[in-house]
Amino acid sequence: MNKTIIININGIVFHIEEDAYEILKNYMTDVKRHFMNSADSLEITTDIENRIAEMFNELLAGENKQVIVEQDVNSVIGQMGTVEDFEKSEMDTEPTFSDTYYNSTSSRRLFRDPDDHLLGGVAAGIANYFDVDVVWIRLAFALSFLFAGTGIILYIILWIVIPKAVTRADRMAMKGEKLNLQGFKKNFEEELGGMRNNLSNLHHEARPFVYKARDFTGDFVHHLGTFFNGAAKVLLKLIGIALILTCAGFLVFFTVAFIALLSVGYFGPFHELPYQILRHHHADYIFIAGYIVAVVPLISIMMLVLKSIFNVGSISRSGGTAALIIWLCAVGALVYNTVGIASEFQSHASVVETIALQPTKDNVYYIKLNDLKYFSAEDSVRLNIKNLSPNMKVADDDDNDFQSFSHRNIRLNIETSDSGQPVLIKSSRARGPYYEDAFNNARNIKYIFSQKDTILKFDQRFYGKNDELWHDEEIDLTLKLPKNAKVVIDHDVDRIANFSIHDCNEINKKDYDKVTDATFVMTDNGIQCKVDTLVTDTIIRKHLPVDSSKIK
Amino acid sequence: MIVENTQTQMRKGVLEYCILSIIAKGEIYASDIIAELKKAQLLVVEGTLYPLLTRLKNNGLLSYNWVESTSGPPRKYYVLSDEGKNVLEQLDKTWQELAFAVQTSIGERKVKTER
Repeated sequence: MNKTIIININGIVFHIEEDAYEILKNYMTDVKRHFMNSADSLEITTDIENRIAEMFNELLAGENKQVIVEQDVNSVIGQMGTVEDFEKSEMDTEPTFSDTYYNSTSSRRLFRDPDDHLLGGVAAGIANYFDVDVVWIRLAFALSFLFAGTGIILYIILWIVIPKAVTRADRMAMKGEKLNLQGFKKNFEEELGGMRNNLSNLHHEARPFVYKARDFTGDFVHHLGTFFNGAAKVLLKLIGIALILTCAGFLVFFTVAFIALLSVGYFGPFHELPYQILRHHHADYIFIAGYIVAVVPLISIMMLVLKSIFNVGSISRSGGTAALIIWLCAVGALVYNTVGIASEFQSHASVVETIALQPTKDNVYYIKLNDLKYFSAEDSVRLNIKNLSPNMKVADDDDNDFQSFSHRNIRLNIETSDSGQPVLIKSSRARGPYYEDAFNNARNIKYIFSQKDTILKFDQRFYGKNDELWHDEEIDLTLKLPKNAKVVIDHDVDRIANFSIHDCNEINKKDYDKVTDATFVMTDNGIQCKVDTLVTDTIIRKHLPVDSSKIK
Repeated sequence: MIVENTQTQMRKGVLEYCILSIIAKGEIYASDIIAELKKAQLLVVEGTLYPLLTRLKNNGLLSYNWVESTSGPPRKYYVLSDEGKNVLEQLDKTWQELAFAVQTSIGERKVKTER
């Protein structure tokens, strides 16, 4: 029992056995190749095909059968003649033409040679194309590698652009061999013979340098080749590994942060702004929700990468759905709480308080920072301040982060008083869910300021009610001093002032490190640096000893 | 190789002359030409005839008519064109000359005849 194929030769249908068909097909391919370069190839091959069809018909009719078998095909080919027969009769028709044609580079095609390669077979392919020894091409490449590596780029480009000779026909076209049955036969026999004689050994003797180099770099080249062949795969895996590592890194970070926040949260970074907002707002819920929102996608990405790139693990549909639901719930909780927090800042209120100051006799004011720390009642109880020995003071300093919130700093502005009286205007602002809350929040801001004769002491910061949430509280202080008042301002005040004391000392060419203050004058245009002249010099001399003693 | 080359050259020149002569006898189908040539032991395989016929046709020496066939596709029946007839006449003349030349050249030398 044999498989039969139905073929159509110029409109006539034949049943032909598979084996017979293979032979016929190869024969026709050969014939077509043979006449390929003739101007009338189509006409000639059609004539031949028609004749073959006719002969088949005669054979079938003569033997009264349905199917063409191998024997029929062979007899038809015998009658028609093989390509070899054709060649014999026209060998000399155009001898020069056929000889030069097949050996010229015009018929050769550029392929990468997989049979003779160090890397991608580019050099061997080029050598085949130009019919030169591959050593010279390789030498040229090796030399071009030395010139800033341009050769490497060229080689890689060629490697990508030039196709690899995969089929036997490719290899023959590469070497400019005739693409016909004889050529194939020759090529195939060569290959067989080569295999028998251990081709590589022959090459070892023939081109020792190349193959020594090949032995030496054998492993490396092999791996490199696999690398380039599977470059995309490897790249994908690298990206996958990078993704997993990144996700794992974030996962660890979030987990550590989460545990830290839950366990030590209340004593932890709550002085800093974002946590200050969260405080008391069901912080644990927010942390848990945030943790889930962050972690679920990370784990999903890791699992997806593992599954799709490394084919490890599995993701069940129900598991994925559950994860999605949990994530959505967490997002919901987070959004709910965020909205809750945002609502705390809906309304805005401000309270302005004007504090009358005592005018000084000689119209001189000393402005200093309060270097004492104030504690709320709770804090002083908690820290047992009362039991401190009377000659001990708790100094305020920036490095002490106890309630030294950067967001509770104040701004000090000094202006010339319209009324001629010294006045301190304290403007407090705060936010809250409703105006009432905002108003109370603003009013509850504690700010400590003191006047002792000519010395005005300002705190760097204000205090909220203990345990109170941050509500965007702000305090602006405006100190209004009478015109022509001399104002001696400590360097430390630079931290809260909206004018520069440092600059004033620069104008007077005073060494900032050696003097502790600078002198200003109130003018119609506000506060101005007092520039040292002979006159001012005497004034300063007159006052400084007295003042410095006061300060000390 | 040289022998083969010369043989082919000789055969080739004669082949065209013979084909023209065969066709000159009347409208004829390619395979019948083959049969005639085989009888004359000039050509062994059919395949070689088609390129030749095509070339002769393209040179204007032949033309063909399509004739329906009972045993396959329509057949090409070849006839000699007027120009073909002219060429054939010239070739006849040339052949006479060649035959004379060859005959004279061989002269008294004994040539084995295989046929």
